[in-house]
Amino acid sequence: MSAEQTVRLATDVGGTFTDLVTFETDERSGAQRVRTTKVDTTPQGFEQGILNAIDDGNVDLAAVHHHVHGTTVVINALTERRGVTVGLITTEGFRDSLEIARGNRPDFFNLDYAKPPAFVPRHLRREVPGRITHLGDERRPLDLAGLDDILDDFRIEGVEAIAICLLNAYANTDHERAVVEAIRDRWPEVAVVASHQITREWREYERTSTTVLSAYVQPPAERYLNQLQETLCERGLTGPTLVMQSNCGVASLEAASATPITITESGPASGFQAAAALGRLIGEPNVLALDIGGTTAKCSLIEDGQVRVVTDYWIERNRTSAGYPVMVPVVDLVEIGNGGGSIAWVDDFKKLRVGPQSAGASPGPASYGRGGSAATTTDANLWLGRIGREDFCGGGVTPDMSAAEHALTAIGAQLGIDATGAARGIVRLANDAMLNALNLISLNRGFDPRDFTLVAFGGGGPMHGVALARELGIAKVVIPEAASVFSAWGMLMADLRRDSFRSRVLDLVDEEMATIAQTFTDVRIELDENMMADGVPQDAIRHEYLARLRYQNQEHTIEVPVDEDELNGGAASPIIERFHDRYEAEYTYRLDAPVEFVGVHITGRADAGRPDLVDEERVDAGSVEPSAHRRVDFADEGVFETPCFRADDLRPGHKLDGPAIIEGAGTSVVVHPNCLVEIDGFRNIHITLTDRA
Amino acid sequence: MTDHFDPITIEIIQNALQAAADEMFVAMKRSAMSSIIYEVLDMGTGVLDGDGEIASSGAGIPAFIGVLDKACKVIISKFGDDISPGDVFITNDPYHGGVTHLNDIVVAMPVFAEDRLVAWTANIAHNSDVGGMAPGSLTGEATEIFQEGLRLPAIRAIDAGVTNAAVMDIITTNSRMPDTIQGDVWAAIASARVGARRLESVANKYGVATFVEAMRRFMDYGEQVARAALAELPHGTFSLSEEQDNGEVFTVHVTISEDEFLVDLRDNPDQHASPTNTSRDAAMVSAQMIFKSLTAPDTPANSGSFRPITLLTRKGSTFDAEEPAAMGFYYEIELRLFDLLWRCLAPGLPDIFGAGHFASVCGTFIGGTHPDTGRQYTIIEPQVGGWGGSQQRDGNSAVFSGFHGETYNCPAEINEAKNGLFVERMELNTAPGGEGKHTGGRGIVAEYRVRSDDGYLTMDYTRSRFPAWAAHGGREGSPNYCEVVSAETGETTRYSAVSELATKKGDLIRIVTGNGGGLGDPRERDAGAVALDIKNGLIDQQTATEIYGPQD
Repeated sequence: MSAEQTVRLATDVGGTFTDLVTFETDERSGAQRVRTTKVDTTPQGFEQGILNAIDDGNVDLAAVHHHVHGTTVVINALTERRGVTVGLITTEGFRDSLEIARGNRPDFFNLDYAKPPAFVPRHLRREVPGRITHLGDERRPLDLAGLDDILDDFRIEGVEAIAICLLNAYANTDHERAVVEAIRDRWPEVAVVASHQITREWREYERTSTTVLSAYVQPPAERYLNQLQETLCERGLTGPTLVMQSNCGVASLEAASATPITITESGPASGFQAAAALGRLIGEPNVLALDIGGTTAKCSLIEDGQVRVVTDYWIERNRTSAGYPVMVPVVDLVEIGNGGGSIAWVDDFKKLRVGPQSAGASPGPASYGRGGSAATTTDANLWLGRIGREDFCGGGVTPDMSAAEHALTAIGAQLGIDATGAARGIVRLANDAMLNALNLISLNRGFDPRDFTLVAFGGGGPMHGVALARELGIAKVVIPEAASVFSAWGMLMADLRRDSFRSRVLDLVDEEMATIAQTFTDVRIELDENMMADGVPQDAIRHEYLARLRYQNQEHTIEVPVDEDELNGGAASPIIERFHDRYEAEYTYRLDAPVEFVGVHITGRADAGRPDLVDEERVDAGSVEPSAHRRVDFADEGVFETPCFRADDLRPGHKLDGPAIIEGAGTSVVVHPNCLVEIDGFRNIHITLTDRA
Repeated sequence: MTDHFDPITIEIIQNALQAAADEMFVAMKRSAMSSIIYEVLDMGTGVLDGDGEIASSGAGIPAFIGVLDKACKVIISKFGDDISPGDVFITNDPYHGGVTHLNDIVVAMPVFAEDRLVAWTANIAHNSDVGGMAPGSLTGEATEIFQEGLRLPAIRAIDAGVTNAAVMDIITTNSRMPDTIQGDVWAAIASARVGARRLESVANKYGVATFVEAMRRFMDYGEQVARAALAELPHGTFSLSEEQDNGEVFTVHVTISEDEFLVDLRDNPDQHASPTNTSRDAAMVSAQMIFKSLTAPDTPANSGSFRPITLLTRKGSTFDAEEPAAMGFYYEIELRLFDLLWRCLAPGLPDIFGAGHFASVCGTFIGGTHPDTGRQYTIIEPQVGGWGGSQQRDGNSAVFSGFHGETYNCPAEINEAKNGLFVERMELNTAPGGEGKHTGGRGIVAEYRVRSDDGYLTMDYTRSRFPAWAAHGGREGSPNYCEVVSAETGETTRYSAVSELATKKGDLIRIVTGNGGGLGDPRERDAGAVALDIKNGLIDQQTATEIYGPQD
């Protein structure tokens, strides 16, 4: 590590681009510098893209204090079915849990629905006798007499990873541990993962599916992560590599390799982590975060500076497929198939639609001039002047306006409107779809969006953010300074984090408080052990305790924060009161019914070497001259002769009025009329809506 | 468009109708008390126009989509102008707009904007116990609806925001599970309010005239889609008579023409003294489900989607039962009808309709005392089973019947903890049946070990004698049934229906659901697929050779 300079490095491998961010601090002067690099992702070997970015960005790996990495390697391996052959060992009588699944048929009028096939065929799903009860007692001893035969069959079938999920293992892990040990003795090379290593929540199908999917991607993910670290070490990296997890925290390379299913949503998680970190930095603890990319838009809600983490996450689940559950902590997000590249079309009944088909990067929107003929949201934004022609795609591309006009005219012709009408329609419908997603993540979870600040990022976020805020009654939109590499920036701001869960049903009454407190202690000890194994000193861990509570007989729980003193105090009433209040806020009513404790969620966090950002001094002269003017159609408010600014010209303290367009690398900030813009000390763009009722 | 309505605004309002129905669904699922609602999702939500026509519906059960409009129309005709903002109405009676059976409570709430009734939000959900002669309110012993629980004949439960405490007291007092029914009814009310709030803000934002127009056009759109698909179907009359497990014969005639889908059910047996009857409304739901599957399964369902349907029934028959016929197991009759229509049309529409599925809700009711907590528990669950092979692929294993949709089974781990029984196994049914070029999917075998003495079992499965039907030379599936193995005598008894059978500690309840029907000659089955069936333990080598021919 260089004495004069501390460098923190983040790399984020996405589907199209590999982003790199370095954060350099001069230890003597305290001066800080953030540098960003964007290169093409190299699907043949992702390390190459990372090395390209390191070369392009002139990063001195020897000076790097630590490296945080985000990767789509796990989600890609899952969705492209590029994992290994998995063998499953489960409790006698339950080999078919994985295939029976939950029996649902979301596409319910379709009588030829195709149920998603199990990741492990029946002949590789094998059973061992032995039963644990829901209370964790042993009902029948574990019998491993058949294990040798099972392993022989697995070897013959080319099994490379074994998943173990036994019934009620959430309540007692002894049998699962015994199976793991027996396999390690007999077959040390094979990858093994047991359900309790990932989660101790109940629901055997979900836990089995999670364990199987983790095993499925474990060998390739481990190979990838090890190779990456090796390559970087060869190039001089001495600091550790940390991996971004779906829970918005980072973990060591070893931990991520052991249960790679925890890094499935690494990419989106880092964006939302960035939004949470930005919110804390600028004093906006309650944030609605919106990330609009090329094919999808994602949003999440941040309350009191913290992301919300849930465990009911699924892959490949939509209105026509049941998908596969992954019961690991994932940032609570809503994703819709609507991004900049989403294609507009008119259905057989003359209804305008936007998405979910996307033009992608190739051929891309019509205006890319790469042979795409479909009108996309990007074409509509360009046609309406919301994206500058000079600054299209970061200035690298001259937009093909006649292709855009042709595409939009073709859409309009089917609806009896002109190209501009079609463009407005596309923008309004795209906004409506995103609005619905934002409602789902806020209103549907019992939050009022008006209590939040909208942080919009990704290529499309800054274009649509203000219009969405106006619809939702949100007073302020913040466009981050590093909007286009925001996810990678967020990784540098992330903590080491682990979420542990355990299902345990108890009445929430004074007499059970000791048991409840003990459950928290047990889970906390396990969590601390895991984090210490990751090299975190115990006294550096900050805990957050959440009790999962419900009215007796309900199933779905809400999480209520509790503290250690309260748990040890022995009185249930303060916790019950908090539950009633939270429940009523979310569901509009409260019941005079007993409250049940259903389990524990503990979050452990430790500092991963997050930099302290310096708030720059504001300039006195608050205004700045526009670089140009052009006519911009705001779709809802109409057309205005609008000043355009270059983001590079804006300094902390600058102020300007809407309507305005601010153009920066790869994105365009659309500031509607009746807005005030101010640049903060970190160069983020704050847009206040002044006409809000 | 030549009128003054902006087509994009219309589209945005229509999206909001769907979003409101979805929001209601989520709100209800997350706050309900009974696993039959929150886990099985035996519920539905919808948005209706001012006249009670269904405009959009949430996820859940296809069989519930056509219920809410019928309930709302009864409420509207009963209360007329006497409907105010903040009112909430309730009905559960099939003779008063409730369509199904008394366990299903419909909650409906009017939506007002600009001082006008512009829409309704409504939902329906299965309540665990609404009183009556048997726990869980459903029993094969019932001969009159009076024995099946409390009847709520389209009444006002909340008057302009003020709860009618008497109504709520009557509902809770009549249930064996007062806390549960109280929680579930409030979950339903909260859900209706969530939807109403959303629609109010949409109507006020865009103006009532535009809002109403958007709803009208959305239903017209549903109709256009349906009619376009109807025109493509082969026209003619299709008829089928089929013997039922009890020896009765059910008969359907379907006439498809350019502009009508006519279902004639007049030629069917008189209503039963047992609770195996449906209202005419419920029979209509069967016709609507099959019509929707046939015409436009991938577009939203609203009342426009169903306009081409004409239904003929005979009053006093099992598909149009008259008061006071019992209705508890109406769902099996509704599903029989659905399956009958499917089978009737399958030969003429081979690309759309595969072979038959296990085609029973397999409603199973198990109750008793939780040995660890001493509390009463009640399991009310439909079962998953095998679906038929289709032209495209083998049938699905272990999926709920065509009556259900976004419905979830109960995890064994939750069953053990919550209901205090042991789930000894939950596996695919490997019994013979459903062989074909494309095989039927597998049913399941689930075994519940009873852990206390004072329990009971009620169940009523159809397709217990006649299994899932095959198509184009495939083999029939296998039957649905229950077995009880007595701990005391070791004897195994098989049932297709039984009411309040007493169970004792150590007894084993074995639920077996059928395999779906096979499609196509088994000898045309791909050899690799047969080899995999053998490897997966779904069929033995010898049987495979007998059915599929010698394997290389």
